[in-house]
Amino acid sequence: MITVHNLTAGYGKLEILQDLSLSFGAEQFSAVLGPNGSGKSTLMKAIMGINTIFGGSVQLAGRELIGMPTEAIAGLGIAYVPQRENIFDELTVLENLQLGMRSLSPERRVAALKELLELFPILGRRRGQRAGLLSGGEHQMLAIAIAWLSRPQLMLLDEPSAGLAPAVALEVFGVLQELGQQGITLIVVEQNARRILQYCDQAFVLREGQLAFQGTAAECLGDEETIKWYLGVH
Amino acid sequence: MPPALLTTSLVNSIQIGSLYALMALGITLTFSVMKLPNFAHADYFTAGAYAALIVSLSGAQNPIAIMSAAFLVGALTALLSHLAVFKPLESREVSLYTLILASFAVGLIIRYILFTMADYFNLFDLRIGIPLQVLYREGFLILSNIFAWVVPTTIALVILLTLLLNATPLGREMRALANNINLARVIGIPVERVKNSTWLLVGGLAGVAGALWSLQTAVNPLMGWAAIISVFAAAILGGLSSFSGTIIGAYVVAFSENTVILFLNYSFGLDLAYKPAIPFIIIIAVLLIRPGGFTQLLKRGGKLQR
Repeated sequence: MITVHNLTAGYGKLEILQDLSLSFGAEQFSAVLGPNGSGKSTLMKAIMGINTIFGGSVQLAGRELIGMPTEAIAGLGIAYVPQRENIFDELTVLENLQLGMRSLSPERRVAALKELLELFPILGRRRGQRAGLLSGGEHQMLAIAIAWLSRPQLMLLDEPSAGLAPAVALEVFGVLQELGQQGITLIVVEQNARRILQYCDQAFVLREGQLAFQGTAAECLGDEETIKWYLGVH
Repeated sequence: MPPALLTTSLVNSIQIGSLYALMALGITLTFSVMKLPNFAHADYFTAGAYAALIVSLSGAQNPIAIMSAAFLVGALTALLSHLAVFKPLESREVSLYTLILASFAVGLIIRYILFTMADYFNLFDLRIGIPLQVLYREGFLILSNIFAWVVPTTIALVILLTLLLNATPLGREMRALANNINLARVIGIPVERVKNSTWLLVGGLAGVAGALWSLQTAVNPLMGWAAIISVFAAAILGGLSSFSGTIIGAYVVAFSENTVILFLNYSFGLDLAYKPAIPFIIIIAVLLIRPGGFTQLLKRGGKLQR
C-alpha cells in the first residue's frame, strides 16, 4: 500500500532517515519501533510531507507523495495523528469532530457521528466541553477520532500511548485493534514495543535512520538480538 | 466639566470607539490566524475610504452601495498584499520581525499609490457627499445621521463576524488555523484558501471602517496611518486574541482620547495636545502591567476567543 524507496529525510539540513526502503501492506497493522532518534517520527512526517525530503520516494498505491502539499496527502485518505498538539484544544470536542469530518457529505456525517459514539462513547458525553480540558486518555481518543472521522484508508499514529496510564494505553490499543478490523491500514510508531507487538501484524525496527529488522510481530518478539539491543525490553 | 461637553464627548467616544473596534477586530483576526501584527491594516482602511469617496463623487448617495464598494476595495487590497508580499515571505520562513517590517513597507506602498491617485485626480481632503443631519436632540444630547450609521453598522458587523466565526464551517476552519495550523494542514483543511478568506474579511472590515470614518471627516491618504496606533492600542488591550476584549479595548481607547482628556483638561489644565500620547500610554501600560489585556482579566486565555 505504502512503499518507501531510498528515502533520505530529516529537518532543515539534518538527515535522519538514510536511504530507507520498506513497504507497508494494505489492511495491515504495522508497528514502527526503535530507540529514540532512530527516525520513527521522521518517517511518519516524511509520508505526510511535513519535513525535509533530501531524496527517494514515497508511493501510495503507485502514486508519488513526495512534493505534494500535506493537505493534498490528507485528501488521498491518509490520516495522521501527531504525538503532540494533535487536537484543537481551544475548540470544543464537537467542533474538533466536525473538523475531522469536514470532507464527508452531510448524510455520511450523520452515520459517522453515530458510529463514533459507539466507538468513543466518552466523546459524546464531552461534546460541549473545551477539548483542552480533556484528560490524557480522552485527549488521545479525540485525536484518533478526528483522524478516523475523515474515513481514511491509512492511519499513521505517532506514539498514541505516550504519557498515558497503562490501563488507558490498553484502551487506546483496543480502539486501534478495532480500527484495524474495520479494514483500515495502521502504521503506529511506539516506544512500548512489547505492548504494541501484542496487537500488530508487522513490525519494522529502525536504527539510526535505517531498517534494522522487518518481520511479523511474532518474529520480532522471537528475535532476541532485536529485542535486547534495539527495543530495550527484556 | 460642562454637561454639554461631557455628553458630546461621550457620543464621540461611542462613535469613534465603534470605528476603532471594526479596525481592531481585523488586526486581532490577522494576528490570531496569520500570526502577523499587520501595520498595513491602516492603509486597507484608507483604500476603503477612498473607494467610498470615489463612489460618492460619482453620484451614488446610497450608504449601502458606498460601504459595499469600500468593503470590496479593502478586501482586494488586503488579499493582494498577502499574495504579493506576505505569502512569498512566509514560504521563505522569514522571522516575525521581517514580516512586521514588510507590513510597514506594504502600508507605505499602498499609501503612496493613494497619494499619487489623489494628486492626479485632486482628491485631497474631500468629504463624502452625505449631508450631516441632526436626527435626535434632547437637552445636551445630539445624535446625527452619521452616529446612526456608524454605531448600528458596527454592531451588525460584529454580530455577523461572531456568527461567521462560530456558526459556519469557514469560521471553524479559521479558528482551527488560529489554534493549531500544523494540525489544520494534517487533517486536510485547505489552509491557503482559509487564509485568503481571512485576508478578504479583515481587509473588507477595514474598508467599511474607512467608509464610515469618511462620513465624519475629510478623506486623505494619511487618515488610516493617523488612527493605527489607537487601533493597535485597542487590539493590545484585547490581548490580540479576544474579540470581546478587543471591542472593550476600542471603546476604552476612544473614551480616553475623547472624554478622559477633556476631563483632565478641565480639572487639571492638561493640554489637549497630549491626546495623541494616550494610545502610546495605554500600549506601554498594558504591556508592562497586564500583557494579556482584557483576555487575562476575563480569564479566558487562549488563541481566538469570542
